[in-house]
Amino acid sequence: MDIKILDSWLREFLGTKAKPADLAKYLSLSGPSVERIEKFGADSVYDIEVTTNRIDSTSVYGIAREATAILPRFKVHAKLKRTKTSSSEYKFVKKVSYLNPVVDSKLCPRFCAVLIKNVKIGDSPGLIKTRLESAGVRAINNVVDISNYIMLELGQPVHTFDYDKIKKHKMVLRESKNGESIATLDRKIFKLNGGDIVIEDGDGRLIDLAGVMGGNLSAVDTNTKNVLLFVQTYDPVRIRKTSMGLAQRTMAATIFEKGTDTELVTPAILKGIELFEKLCKGTPEKEVIDIYPFPFKSKKINLNLDFVEKRLGVNISKKDISDFLTSLEFETAWTGNNLTVNVPSFRSRDVLEPEDVVEEIARIYGYHNLPSEVMSGKLTGRSTSLQFTFEEKLKNYLSGWGGVEVYTSSLVAEDYVSQNALRLINPLGTDSEYLRTSLMPSLINAARQNSGTFESFHLFEMSNIYLPKKNDLPEERLMLAGIFEGYKYRNAKGIVEAFLEKLRLNANFEINESKGFAAGKCSSILIGTEKIGYIGFPENSSNVYYEFEVSKLFGLTQKTTVYTEISKYPSQVEDITFTLPEKTMVGKVLEEIRYLQSTINNAELRDIYKNSYTFRISYHDNTKTLTDKEVEQIRNKILQKVKEKFGGQIKG
Amino acid sequence: MQEEIMSAKNQALAQITSAKDNMELEQIRIDLFGRSGKITGLVKRIKEVPVESRQQVGILINETKQTLENLLAEQKNSFKENAREWFDPTIPGIKPKIGHLHLVTQAITEISRVFEGIDFERVRYPEVEWDWFAFEGLNMPKGHPARDEWETFFVDTRENPKYGKTVLTPHTSSGQVREMLKVKTPPIRMINIAKCYRRQSDVSHVPMFHQFEGLVVDEDISIVNLKGTLDYFAQSFFGKERKTRLRPYHFQFTEPSFEVDISCGNCDGKGCKLCKGGWLELGGAGMVHPNVLKAGSINPSRYSGFAFGWGVERTYMMKGGIHIPDIRLLYSADLRFLTQF
Repeated sequence: MDIKILDSWLREFLGTKAKPADLAKYLSLSGPSVERIEKFGADSVYDIEVTTNRIDSTSVYGIAREATAILPRFKVHAKLKRTKTSSSEYKFVKKVSYLNPVVDSKLCPRFCAVLIKNVKIGDSPGLIKTRLESAGVRAINNVVDISNYIMLELGQPVHTFDYDKIKKHKMVLRESKNGESIATLDRKIFKLNGGDIVIEDGDGRLIDLAGVMGGNLSAVDTNTKNVLLFVQTYDPVRIRKTSMGLAQRTMAATIFEKGTDTELVTPAILKGIELFEKLCKGTPEKEVIDIYPFPFKSKKINLNLDFVEKRLGVNISKKDISDFLTSLEFETAWTGNNLTVNVPSFRSRDVLEPEDVVEEIARIYGYHNLPSEVMSGKLTGRSTSLQFTFEEKLKNYLSGWGGVEVYTSSLVAEDYVSQNALRLINPLGTDSEYLRTSLMPSLINAARQNSGTFESFHLFEMSNIYLPKKNDLPEERLMLAGIFEGYKYRNAKGIVEAFLEKLRLNANFEINESKGFAAGKCSSILIGTEKIGYIGFPENSSNVYYEFEVSKLFGLTQKTTVYTEISKYPSQVEDITFTLPEKTMVGKVLEEIRYLQSTINNAELRDIYKNSYTFRISYHDNTKTLTDKEVEQIRNKILQKVKEKFGGQIKG
Repeated sequence: MQEEIMSAKNQALAQITSAKDNMELEQIRIDLFGRSGKITGLVKRIKEVPVESRQQVGILINETKQTLENLLAEQKNSFKENAREWFDPTIPGIKPKIGHLHLVTQAITEISRVFEGIDFERVRYPEVEWDWFAFEGLNMPKGHPARDEWETFFVDTRENPKYGKTVLTPHTSSGQVREMLKVKTPPIRMINIAKCYRRQSDVSHVPMFHQFEGLVVDEDISIVNLKGTLDYFAQSFFGKERKTRLRPYHFQFTEPSFEVDISCGNCDGKGCKLCKGGWLELGGAGMVHPNVLKAGSINPSRYSGFAFGWGVERTYMMKGGIHIPDIRLLYSADLRFLTQF
């Protein structure tokens, strides 16, 4: 939560000579973070981020209290000028004549109010207006301004009712029922779902959406004479639920939902009484109604010196620990090296365990005063899985052959996914409503975006796809996929073949029909009988697309390579050109030649001219040099086979 | 004698012009001008010439000598010229296609290397995660206001009786408890790098991004160790001269919690337009909350730890001064952008 604190207002509670810039720096190092200082006339405004756990600091007084503990550690004197916490003039009692409240204390742990009669409504004095303005709050009239002023100064939200609009001067503070509705100050009508904290008057009308926004029926207006000044604490969970549910994020609600200090109610109402007398010339009743069945009892936390030192990582004296904690209004008592800490009321929701106390000691000691050392100790004995470096290697190969890596979004539109894909309840838009089940549509889209701007390119991506599982989290399958634009099929396939060869995977391409690919234009890629991926043309696309399952690549790739002895005998290599009938699958012909017999150790396509195909064939025997005669015999076998099986003729 | 000179000259001229290479030329030179060379011999014999014609013979010999020497040099040069074939070194090369790894990949690789250097094990945990690991196990019960900071995407599935709703993990911290449950007995030194998702999209936020999460759990792990690790990272990743500092902050899953700043590389920490008083915000960190250790079945009275989780993109942007005005560019497939890195 960001708050704005006026320097001169802060100094009403904080006696110090620190300059604003130093104050900001020291606070940021050991307490709430001052994001910036802005000029405000001759004055300065601190823009401060208060974390959700420190609602006690969300006020001028709260910041003054923090500064008082922090500044002395930077050798700057600071003294807190305390706010009034008791009064001999006003009595806090359980029953009063002017109001008949029925309070559910589970919803409202402390219910406090006082009647102020003969209020004169008008403008607030300049100082009040300026201070409100410095915090970004608009001045309205003295009654409304008092509420806001107290909230900003002390961090306690305050409400005011037109006393005469509370029928029979009765209040029932209760849980709302499903279907009830309430009109609020901003003239909106909310239908409630039940479970909100509301106040009903003697005629059964809802007059307040407690802690979130006042009701319209009891609102103070220009004719208001008598005001009920109203200061409470509420069950934070309920406030949050109502405020979030109705989207009414008022400042009061964002404070109440963090849980306010019951002990802050007294200073807040006393401050209210003082301001009503001064600003509105009102006459307060001497008896303040205060329903507070379970008054605050300080919590004790036990810890010892060794624990503190181990968490800090340095030695620290018992005196320093006591001093730091006392400056934050904790009470400390040592028994030997055991420390008992009494937590003040305003920290009772935040400081619950020894670790919380360590934080207080450490931040006042100053994180900047701690040394910096990497931990010693045993090695974990668990080194990073080889799969991560394997993944890097795959990316390096592809980019080495000109591939450009992309990261496209996992969140896609409905027409990108297969049936029963996972859907988001709260997507940012329909184009990112589903978790993708394939990388293909994303990459086709990525290629389309660049087509026209670039003549040819190869994009690839390594990302998860999400395959739903019954009653469990989905399978997150890591895929490596790529798309070629402006590449001939042979060039694209060549990169995929080279990639597999680098991994020393002996892959087969098998014609296959697969989802998303054009009929007859897809091959599955197999290692033995295991399918590891696909390559082909997606439907209605002239781009070659391929994909692999990364875990399969990883699983099948040999982690080490065995040396094969280099043959003592030379190979004999020759080119043979065949004329093949139309629609012959050349890959099949080569495969046939290659595996015809073991003395043929390689067969490659060298050249194509019309329907003539030149193959380079390599003959080899590990035990001897093949004679011309022997080669001729093998060649004849090849010619015969190609003729028989494919109707191919040797050319020339 | 004059005739002798003329004939020697003519013979030499013929030899020189018909010589085929330098070696032959050199032999000719020695035959003419060497210690017992023909011309050398003729010069020696000038004294034998009668006085009245001695001057004339002298001039002739000198002329002959001059002519032959010039021709030798000329011939030598012509050999050099002939040996030099025409070649154009200015013609441009034919480049292979240049590939590019994505910036995020480059960042992840660098970050992994830094932490692997101090025995952190890189891991990866689910992106689609149970609410329990993303929030409850991290000391954020249902309805807690702290959850607001994570603009979480929810997945439309049936709730799990034990682990609650299915979410897209808004941070890599969801791997903390998973790592503890996997390792069981500390020491733990984990670096979890993964995709995260939040409902946000503007120039500095993308709905899908990456975080890296460090987690260390062992006996006697202190704030000093956290500082040491962060400094080690900052100096390895950003440069030797960089420093980090901790400021108080709040997260439900760490106690104490910190905001980590790094000294500004642009102004060396003196303060400039790019930083706040010499410092830049890196991200959050803290000492693991005892409730989180408990959620991971680790005894908080015996073990303590620290954790930090930062954006990969954000951290990398701070490194090289790669000023990308709109972070969403990273996740577009625009080659005009991607081929720059």
